[in-house]
Amino acid sequence: MATFLARRLVWLPVVLFFVSILTFFLGLYGPGNPINIMVGLKANPETIERIKAEYGFDQPVYQQYFNYVFKAVQGDFGYGLVKYRDQPVGRIIAERLPVTIQLNIAALVVGVIVGIPLGLLAGLTRNSWFDYSVRFLSLIAVSIPLLFLLPFLTFIFSRRHDLVLNAANLQFAIGPFLPMVGGHWDGILSTKVLLPILIESLGIVAVLTRQMRAGIIETLGQDYVRTARAKGLRERMVLLRHAMRNALIPIATILTLSIGGLVEGSFLVENWFGIPGVGQLALDAFTAREYYIIMGITLIIAVAYVVANMAADLLYPILDPRIRSSK
Amino acid sequence: MGTLLEVKDLRTEFHTQDGVVHAVNGVTFAVDEGETLGLVGESGCGKSVSVLSVMRLIPQPPGKIAGGQVLFQGRDLLTVDDEEIRSVRGNKIAMVFQDPMTSLNPVLTIDTQIGESLELHLGMTKEQARKRSVELLKMVGIPEAEGRIEDYPHQFSGGMRQRVMIAMALSCTPQLLIADEPTTALDVTILAQIIDIVKRLKRELGMAIIWITHDLGVIAGLADRINVMYAGFIIETAPVKEIFGNPLHPYTLGLLGSIPRLDETRKEKLTPIEGLPPDLVTMPTGCPFYDRCRFRTEKCLHENPPLEVSAVRHSVACWNWQDVVKARGRA
Amino acid sequence: MTTTISLATRTSAPTLKRSPSPWMRIALRTLRNIPALIGFLLIVAFFFTALFANFLAPYSYDKQDLDNIEKPPSAQHWLGTDSLGRDMLSRLIYGARSSAFVVLLVTVVNLALGIPLGAAAGYFGGWLENLIMRTTEILFAFPGLLFTFLIAATIRPAVLDWARSNGFADLARSGYLDYAVVIIALGFVGWAGLARFVRGQVLTVKEREYVIGARSIGVPTWRVIGRHILPNALAPIIVALSMGMGFIALSEGYLSYLGIGLQPPNPSWGNIAAENFGRYWRTFPQFLWLVFIPGLILTLIVLAFAFFGDALNEALDPELVD
Repeated sequence: MATFLARRLVWLPVVLFFVSILTFFLGLYGPGNPINIMVGLKANPETIERIKAEYGFDQPVYQQYFNYVFKAVQGDFGYGLVKYRDQPVGRIIAERLPVTIQLNIAALVVGVIVGIPLGLLAGLTRNSWFDYSVRFLSLIAVSIPLLFLLPFLTFIFSRRHDLVLNAANLQFAIGPFLPMVGGHWDGILSTKVLLPILIESLGIVAVLTRQMRAGIIETLGQDYVRTARAKGLRERMVLLRHAMRNALIPIATILTLSIGGLVEGSFLVENWFGIPGVGQLALDAFTAREYYIIMGITLIIAVAYVVANMAADLLYPILDPRIRSSK
Repeated sequence: MGTLLEVKDLRTEFHTQDGVVHAVNGVTFAVDEGETLGLVGESGCGKSVSVLSVMRLIPQPPGKIAGGQVLFQGRDLLTVDDEEIRSVRGNKIAMVFQDPMTSLNPVLTIDTQIGESLELHLGMTKEQARKRSVELLKMVGIPEAEGRIEDYPHQFSGGMRQRVMIAMALSCTPQLLIADEPTTALDVTILAQIIDIVKRLKRELGMAIIWITHDLGVIAGLADRINVMYAGFIIETAPVKEIFGNPLHPYTLGLLGSIPRLDETRKEKLTPIEGLPPDLVTMPTGCPFYDRCRFRTEKCLHENPPLEVSAVRHSVACWNWQDVVKARGRA
Repeated sequence: MTTTISLATRTSAPTLKRSPSPWMRIALRTLRNIPALIGFLLIVAFFFTALFANFLAPYSYDKQDLDNIEKPPSAQHWLGTDSLGRDMLSRLIYGARSSAFVVLLVTVVNLALGIPLGAAAGYFGGWLENLIMRTTEILFAFPGLLFTFLIAATIRPAVLDWARSNGFADLARSGYLDYAVVIIALGFVGWAGLARFVRGQVLTVKEREYVIGARSIGVPTWRVIGRHILPNALAPIIVALSMGMGFIALSEGYLSYLGIGLQPPNPSWGNIAAENFGRYWRTFPQFLWLVFIPGLILTLIVLAFAFFGDALNEALDPELVD
């Protein structure tokens, strides 16, 4: 077990190294050329040289890479090129990050609170109409794209009588549920974010429900559950002490893996609702070719993702004693 | 000694996609206090299902106890409420299962798993339960029991885990211990140790035992009485010596013919019983053993023989058992 | 001492019926599931529409009917027209072609990279396996779609710049390079999962007696892999592909929606949705059909692949039968 953890810990910087290289080269040295973007294709050579020197593009590639990583570790992710020209990327991201993090954590919490009991109930009432509908709906919810979900749920949750109004004043028409008009962030507790959180959490609810249902059905069929029943334990005890814990073990992995989906989801959700988070910034950067911003966001998300996976690996031995003592 | 458990005309079936599987088809037997009963038959003959039905541990659905009575100390366990059956399980009737690898919960300590019966049935506190658990582990011969009580099941070997299972089953000193093929998953030396432990504990604690196995050799030295099961029926029941010395059912004869013996020079090859048991969904109307039987007659095809007394304490379900006796005499 | 009753022969053998081939049985078991059957029919319809888009669509995808702009559904334009007077139905039908094209090509790329790399990693082991597996792990260090976004967003402008400055301006303008960008972005990430899976399959089969036997009599390596190892992994690979196709269609939709995939006027369900969301969301719900339909169609296709793949998976795994 200790060696396993040690291997993971050594592997972490290796992954981060490659992640940073990939990001760096894709962003700056692969295909995109920030200078062209900054000065335009038809700039005179002198201007190009000047800008190159100013931003350090005249140094050798490895030097630039190390400069970038070294600064990135200190929170300096370079500067905006066009739209955000000369603004520090680190600060731009830092302003947006808390919004996205809060939104995703809220979605995760909703996912757990709804998904686990729902899956448990479905598993316990296996093959009932309840189980069938939960299974059917969760399969739909897992695979339904946000492209449909966003307009659809907004439509469903808007106040009907307002919808027939002409839409020039739509922002008011949809009432408490249409949030974030004009990039104004009221905090995670605002009712405005109910719908975005709901939409973001739907995928997690579905995945957790399916896993929990499958998990509880599997564990309830295990021999040790029969042993527990043969001891005369109450069904509640059998469930809570013997079945649930085993069924919960895979949930840890599912949760860490779902972070990826959440982040991707926030790209679309934040844009749809005008929430000033990292997802919205990223799309802005895509269209404006703000490579430093794209790189910064990618790097931060990748690091968070790797670390979360690492955390799941550390969590496993706590949940499962078999892993604790294996080599 | 009085009768402890009386099973009357027990029927258990499973409702599956392929139809109704008739796993137990009217089984009647009794266990006296302190008696050891062997339940023998090949896999799928309904031996496990019948004892699980006694404990009401058949998963429902798809399982269903379709009829019969299970009288334990005079009460029908099939009709008592859930509360009452729970107070019997693990307390008065305890069970040891086949596979010690999967029958213990991998994420709970041994302490927790033994202790929970003690706390539940005997109202012990955590401390008392723990002390008692250590004693129990010592009783089944686990070395350094104090140090191992906090261990998890995967830290024990297969034989040790089965000892833990036995300790767990005996924790509330049950009147009846049901052992469902407890040695099948173990290798031969461990098997002998486990049997020795059970024999010793039976002497010390005096409980009755139902020992299920597909291996007549295992219970030869253990059981007082043997029930042979086939396709959900008991087809022969007799004291252990009678079964080995005077087998009356062709199937029992076949079972004995397929035991290798070390104490005799081998005269002939081991004779397997050819063929397969009948499909439990589409049960034949006649004798279930008809297809595989050397002694079959026209009558066997149409009428299923009832279990009838053939000698003192010896019953057999065969129309032609006298032919079996004659054939045995010739061999 | 241990005995079992050996079951030598069947005396009462059941009447021998010619049973259907295993593949046939799996197909029947899959399609008995109603949602899976509907999914299967939708998938067939999807590829059929893609193949015959030019016959099925009433108009060209970029033909503007300037007398009918932003018109609700009518006999002339079944699904109405967009802000440029283009027929929505036709655009959606050609969108199916874009989607199917991307789905098939990315699947081919995934197969072409994933199977050989996974098989090689599993079969040869050693440094090769290490290299391939560590590469996949690095790819997995990014959340999948995000990586695709990153690649598409960064290489698209570069590819276009390169084409323009090397005399392929027409190609750059046609938008066909966008297909290449999307396929590269999705193919770059997608093979890793398949490679890991194939490696796992190879590892389990590698030590089987018949493989060792085949090797010991000098059967060439590629033949051992091709004849003994891959066929055994075929069924689960098909499930993975079926599930993967839905994901590819979805990813293409997202990329195009986000403006880093296929660009208008080339039709993609994603960019149709984006165009109409952007333009009509403000006037919601007046142009409801324009806002909902592209997303709805993409949803149906994704669900079709999901339900079909799910049922196929259960049909292939006898222990999973409920």
